[in-house]
Amino acid sequence: MAYVSMGEAHRRITEYLNRFCDAVSYQDSSTLCRLLSFSSNSPPLLSLADALNVFQDSSSLIRQSDRFSEYGEILAHVFRSLQSYRVGNLVEAYLAFDKFANAFVQEFRNWESAWALEALYVVCYEIRVLAEKADKDLTSNGKSPEKLKAAGSLLMKVFGVLAGKGPKRVGALYVTCQLFKTYFKLGTVNLCRSVIRSIETARIFDFEEFPRRDKVTYMYYTGRLEVFNENFPAADTKLSYALQNCNPKRERNIRMILKYLVPVKLSLGIIPKDELLRNYNLHEYTKIVQALRKGDLRLLRHALQEHEDRFLRSGVYLVLEKLELQVYQRLMKKIYINQKLSDPARAHQLKLEGIAKALRWLDMDMDLDEVECIMTILIYKNLVKGYLAHKSKVVVLSKQDPFPKLNGKPVSS
Amino acid sequence: MNHGGNTQAVAPMDPNSIENRYGVDGSQTQKYSYQYSTGSESAPWTGHSVENQAVENGNYSNSNYYHPQPTGPATGNVQEIPNTVSFTISSTSGTANVAQDYSGYTPYQTSSDPHNYSNTGYSNYYSGYQQQPSQSYPQPVGAYQNTGAPQPLSSFQNPGSYAGTPSYSGTYYNPADYQTAGGYQSTNYNNQTAGSYPSTNYSNQTPASNQGNYTDYTSNPYQNYTPDAANTHSSTIATTPPVHYQQNYQQWTEYYSQTEVPCAPGTEKLSTPTTSAYSQSFPVPGVTSEMPASNSQPAPSYVQPWRPETDSSHPPSQQPGAAVSTSNDTYWMHQAPSLQAHHPVPPQNNYQSPLETKPLYETPFQGHQRATYPQEMNSQSSFHQAPLGYRQPTQTAPLVDSQRVSKVQIPTNPRIASNLPSGFTKMDKDSTAASAAQAPAYVSVSMPKPKDHTTAMSDPGTFPKSLRGFVERAFARCKDDKEKESCEVALRKIVKKAKEDNTLYTRDWDTEPLSTVTTTNVTNSESSSAQLSSLQNKSPTRRPKSRWEPLVEGKPFVKPASTFSSAVKFGVWNHQNENNKKSSESFQKVDAATGFKPTYSGQNSAKKSFQRPVKRQRFSGGAATAIDDEASSDSDKDLTPYYSSAMALAGSAEEKKRRDSRSKRFEKIQGHSRGNDLTKPKNANVGNLHSRRATALRLSKVFDESGSRAVEDIDWDALTVKGTCQEIEKRYLRLTSAPDPATVRPEDVLEKALIMVQDSQKNYLFKCDQLKSIRQDLTVQRIHNHLTAKVYETHARLALEAGDLPEYNQCLSQLKTLYAEGVEGCSLEFAAYSLLYITLHSNNNRELLSSMSRLSEEDKKDEAVRHALSVRAAVTSGNYVMFFRLYKTAPNMNSCLMDLYVEKMRYKAVNFMSRSCRPTIPVSYIVQVLGFTGAASEGTDEKETDGMEDCLEWLKTHGANIITDSNGDMLLDTKATSTSLFMPEPEDAVAHGDRNLDVNDFFTRT
Repeated sequence: MAYVSMGEAHRRITEYLNRFCDAVSYQDSSTLCRLLSFSSNSPPLLSLADALNVFQDSSSLIRQSDRFSEYGEILAHVFRSLQSYRVGNLVEAYLAFDKFANAFVQEFRNWESAWALEALYVVCYEIRVLAEKADKDLTSNGKSPEKLKAAGSLLMKVFGVLAGKGPKRVGALYVTCQLFKTYFKLGTVNLCRSVIRSIETARIFDFEEFPRRDKVTYMYYTGRLEVFNENFPAADTKLSYALQNCNPKRERNIRMILKYLVPVKLSLGIIPKDELLRNYNLHEYTKIVQALRKGDLRLLRHALQEHEDRFLRSGVYLVLEKLELQVYQRLMKKIYINQKLSDPARAHQLKLEGIAKALRWLDMDMDLDEVECIMTILIYKNLVKGYLAHKSKVVVLSKQDPFPKLNGKPVSS
Repeated sequence: MNHGGNTQAVAPMDPNSIENRYGVDGSQTQKYSYQYSTGSESAPWTGHSVENQAVENGNYSNSNYYHPQPTGPATGNVQEIPNTVSFTISSTSGTANVAQDYSGYTPYQTSSDPHNYSNTGYSNYYSGYQQQPSQSYPQPVGAYQNTGAPQPLSSFQNPGSYAGTPSYSGTYYNPADYQTAGGYQSTNYNNQTAGSYPSTNYSNQTPASNQGNYTDYTSNPYQNYTPDAANTHSSTIATTPPVHYQQNYQQWTEYYSQTEVPCAPGTEKLSTPTTSAYSQSFPVPGVTSEMPASNSQPAPSYVQPWRPETDSSHPPSQQPGAAVSTSNDTYWMHQAPSLQAHHPVPPQNNYQSPLETKPLYETPFQGHQRATYPQEMNSQSSFHQAPLGYRQPTQTAPLVDSQRVSKVQIPTNPRIASNLPSGFTKMDKDSTAASAAQAPAYVSVSMPKPKDHTTAMSDPGTFPKSLRGFVERAFARCKDDKEKESCEVALRKIVKKAKEDNTLYTRDWDTEPLSTVTTTNVTNSESSSAQLSSLQNKSPTRRPKSRWEPLVEGKPFVKPASTFSSAVKFGVWNHQNENNKKSSESFQKVDAATGFKPTYSGQNSAKKSFQRPVKRQRFSGGAATAIDDEASSDSDKDLTPYYSSAMALAGSAEEKKRRDSRSKRFEKIQGHSRGNDLTKPKNANVGNLHSRRATALRLSKVFDESGSRAVEDIDWDALTVKGTCQEIEKRYLRLTSAPDPATVRPEDVLEKALIMVQDSQKNYLFKCDQLKSIRQDLTVQRIHNHLTAKVYETHARLALEAGDLPEYNQCLSQLKTLYAEGVEGCSLEFAAYSLLYITLHSNNNRELLSSMSRLSEEDKKDEAVRHALSVRAAVTSGNYVMFFRLYKTAPNMNSCLMDLYVEKMRYKAVNFMSRSCRPTIPVSYIVQVLGFTGAASEGTDEKETDGMEDCLEWLKTHGANIITDSNGDMLLDTKATSTSLFMPEPEDAVAHGDRNLDVNDFFTRT
C-alpha cells in the first residue's frame, strides 16, 4: 500500500465527498455509479480506500459541511465498507455496505424521478457480489455463510421499492434477476416463484417495457427453472427468447443459454448442428448428439458418465438421461430399416430376440423380459407405433410411420 | 413500601430463609421470597392457598374441612372480602401468590396448585381474587366442608402447623398491602414453607426444627393446614395494612399472632386477630364451631389457615418424600395424605369465596359454612364438571376429600378452567396415574377428618389425627404469639422425634402430656411444627416453582409499586412460571381487570406448573421432583426482582420472547442444579430438606450470577446433564422441562439399552418408544459419537422395516448431521437410503440431482449405493423388470424403501403392458415380472402359486380384465384392461402411513 500523506488523504476524501454530492445534486447517475462500484476496483476508489486507512476520522470531514452531512449516513457507511474492502475484511465490508445500501434505498425512495436507477443497480450488484465474497470468507473460516441470504432479503426489499407505478418500475426486472442469481446460488430456487408471479401477473409491469438485457436474463433463469420442472416446451420458449435477444457478441452468455437449450431441444427431438456445439464450445454434448443420431445406447451412457459431474451440477443430467428412449427408438428404427432391406415382407415384425442381439452388440446385456419391458415402454410412450405380441415375442410395427418423430413435442409420459 | 415492610417483617419472621430472601431486595425481596418460596415457598403458597381456601372453607369448610382451618380460612375470606377495597393490590398479590403457589405446587402440585389458586383467590379477595377463588373455592369448600367438618377437629390438634399457615396468611396480607404479594408471599413462604414447604421456611426459619415439625406437621398439619389456607386468606385480607404484614412476619415465627394480624387487616378487622386471634383460631380450628367464631374474627380464622397449611405442607412434604414427587400428583398426594383434604378444601374455599365468599365470609362462620356448603357442593360438582381447569385447585381440595380427589379436577371454575383446562386434564391423568398414592390420599380426604386420621396412618406423609389434636391442644394453651412460637418449635421437635422413632403413628397423642412440648408452650411447639410442616411443603413446592420462576426472572419486576403491582407480580409469576402465553395474557387481563384476571393467570400458571411437575414425576419420580423444586425455588428468587418489570412488559411480544429465552436458560440451569442435587436422596424428606436448601442456595447464587449474564455467555457445557439413571428400559416422554439427571441414563447404560432393543422380540412400537427415549437421553447429554449414530441407524432401520417414514426421516436428518460431523457410521448405507427415498418418495429432481452430485466415485462403488442408483435409473426409465430384479437383490434395507414403491411400479407396469401388448398376457408372466413371488422366493412351486393368487387378487382390485384360455391359463385381456385399469384407493390407509402399525397399538401405547 503506497504511502499516503495526511494531506493527500484529506484531499482525496474531500474530493470524493464533493463528487458524490455533485452527482446527487446534478442527478448524474453515471458518476454515482463509478463512485459506488467497488468491484470495478477502479484506481480512484482504491486510492480513496488507502486515504481512508490513513485518515481515520473521515466522519469529521463529513460533518464539516452541511453539504456532506446531508448524506452523512450514506457516506459514512460507504467509507467504512470501502476501508474494510480494501484491507480484505469482506465480512465487515459487507456489513457496512448493507447499511449503506439500506440508507441509499431509503434515499432513493425519496427521489421522485428514476434518475438514480443505474446507481441502484450498482448497489444491488455490489451487495450481491460482496455477500458472495463474504460467504466464501466465512466458509473458509469454518463459519456458516449467511450473508448471501441476507443480501437476498435486502434485494427483496429493493424490489418492493421499485414495484410501483412510477418510472422506477422498469428497474424491477434487474433486481429480479439479481434475486434469481442469489437464489440459484443459494439453492433456494423455490423462492423465485413469488417474484416471478409478481412480474408476470402484476399489471404495473409490462414485460416489453423492461430493458432488453434484463429480459434476456429473466428468460434465461425462468427457462432454467422450467428445465428443473421438466417442462420442456416452456423451457424451450424461454431459452429461445433469451438466445434470440441476447447480445450476439456475448459468447459466454450464449453458451450459458445453449447449455440448457441444447438438452431441451434434444428432448424435443431437435438435434443441433455440430457447428453450433463446436462454435460455442459445447463439446460435452457432442457425443450425446452422436448417440442420438446413431441410436448408440452405449455411447450415450458413456457420454453421460463422462460428464456426469458437470451435468449433475448444471441440472441437465436427468434430462439427458431421458434421451435414452429416443436412442432406443433410433435403434429400433435402424433394426427395422435393416430388416426391411433383408426381408421386406416381415420388416414390420421385430423379434425381441433380434433386438436383444442388437443390444448385445452394444454391450447391453439384456434378457428378453427386459427387452420386452423396454418395448412396452416405447410403445406406451408412442415412440414406436405398433403392439407387442407377448406369446410370440414379437413387436408388430404399424405399417404407417412406425417411428414417429417428436418434432418439438415432448415424449409423452 | 409494602414490599420493604414485608421483607423486613419477613426477615424477622424467618431469620434465615426469609431474611435472606427478603434481605436481598426490599421490593425484590418479595420476588425473591417468591422465588425462594416458589421452591419451598411455593409450597407455602400452596399452603397459603390452602389456607385461603381453608379460610373460605373455614366459613363453610372450617367446620367441614379442618374445622379449625376452615374457620381460619373463612375468616380469611371474610377478611379478604372486607379488604376488597384493597383488592386490586391484594388481587395482584393474590396472583403472585398463585404464581408462587404454582411453583410450590409443583411439589405438592395438585394440592398446592389448588391452594395456590385459592390463595390467589384469597389475595384476590382483596381485589378480585375472591371471585376467582370463589369459583374454585366453592367447590373445594364444598368438599372440604364435608371432610372438613370431621377433620377440623383433628386438624385443630395440629394447630402448630396452622401456625405455619398463619405465616402464609401473613404473606397474603403482605401481597394485599404491598400488592407486592411478593413480600407477603415471602413471609408467607417462610411461614408456609415452614409449614408446608419445609424448604424455604425450614432453611431460614427452622430448618432442623422444621424437619421435626414436618413430621409432626405431617401428621397434624395436614388437617390443620387446610385451616392454614384459610389463614392465608385472612392474611390476604390483612393485606390492607402493610404493618400488619410485618407483624405477621414476625408473628409468623409466631405464626398465629402474625397471621392473625394480617388476617385481621385483610379480613376486615375480623379479629384484630393477630396473635390472639391466631391462637384463638388455632384452638378454634380444632372445633368447627370455633371456626365460625374465628370467622367472625379474621384472626382466628387465620390461625386456622395456618394449621391447614401446615397440614397441607406436611402431607406434601411427606408425600414428596415419596416418589409422588410429580407436581400435581405429589401435590395431590401430599395433600391427600395429610392435607389433601385441607388443601383441596382451600382451593375450594377460594373458589367459593369468589363466588359467595364475601357474604359467606362476612357472615359468621357457621352461616358462611352453610352458605359455603352449598357452594361447596356446587363447587364440587363444578369441579367434577370442569375438573381440568380447577382440578388442580380442586385437586388440593380433592385431596381433602377422597371424593373430591377422585373428582380432583372437579374445579372447573369457568375462569380457572379455561386457563387450566389443559393442565387439569393432565392433572387428571396424573391423578389417575398417581392414583395409587393419590387414591389413598383422596380417600382419606373424602373421609374428612376421620379419613385424615386414617390417611395419616396409612400415609406416612399424613399425621395421625391424634397428633393433630395434640398439636392443637398445645397451641390452644399458648397465650401469645411467643408462646406459640416456642410451642411450635417444641412440637416440631416432638414430631420429628416421633418420626425418627417411628412412633408417629403409634404413639398415643391424645394422652401425650402437653408438657412434652417442653421448653416453650405447647403452642410454641405447635407453631414450630407448623413452620416445619410449611417448610416441608415449601421445599417441594419451591422446586417446581423455580422451574417456572426462571422464566419469571426474565421479567423485570421493577414496577410492583402500582396497585396492580401485586397482581402484576402474580402475573409475572405466571409468566415466568409458564413462560406460557397464557400467563402473559392473564397478566394483561389482570392489568385490565386487576385482581381477578391476574388470579386466573396465576391459577393458570399454577396449573401449568403443576402439569409440568406431574410429567416430571412420571419421569423421574419423587426425588427428581424434589430437586426440581429446589431449582425452581432458586429461580423464583431470582425472578422476584424482575417481577415488577415483567409485569409491565408481560404484554409485549418482545418480552414474551425474552421470557421464553430466559425460561429456556433457566430450564437448563435448573437441570444443572438438578444435576447437583442428584446425590440427594429422593425419598428422605428430612434429609432432602437440608440438602434441598443447600442446593437452593447454591442455585440461587447461580441464578443471581446468571441473571446478570447474557444467555449467550452461559457455559452450556457446564450445564449439560450427566445422567445417573441405571434403568435400561425407559419409556419415552417428551420433555416439557429441564431434564432430570436422575431419569437420564448415562452412556454405558444407553449402550445396554440399545442392545436390549436390538435383541428385543417385542413389536416396533415398543422399540420405537425405547429408541426415542434413548435418543432423548443422548440429546440431553449432548452425546455425539458412534453410539449416537448407532442409535439413529438402528432406529432408522427399524422405522424402515416398519414403514414408519416420518420417524425414518427424523433419524436420517440427524444422521446426516452426525456424518457431516465426522462421526463414523454406515454413512453409505444411509446415503443409499436417502437416494432411494428421494427417488421413490419425494420425486424432487433438484434434490435428486444434488444428492447424486454429492456422491464421490468412491461412494458409487459401494454396493448399496450402486444398487440405489440402479433403482433410480430403473424408476426414471420405468423399467419395471429391472426394478423388480433389483428389488430381489436389494442389500440392507433398500428393499424396505422399495416396498413402498412397489404398488406404483406394478400399476405402471400393468398399464404399460396393457397398452402395448396384444392380445393377452399370461398372468404367470406378470407374476414373474412384477415380483409377486416375493423377494425371498426360491421359485418353488408353492410360492409360485401363492404369487399367482396374490397377483390375481391385485389385478382384480385394480380393475384388470382376466380371461381364461382353453388350457385353463389365466390371461390378462390387455385391450379391455387398458381402459379399465385404475388405482384403487388404499383401503387400509392410515394416518401414520403404515397399516402394519395397528391403531390399537398406538392407543395402548399412549
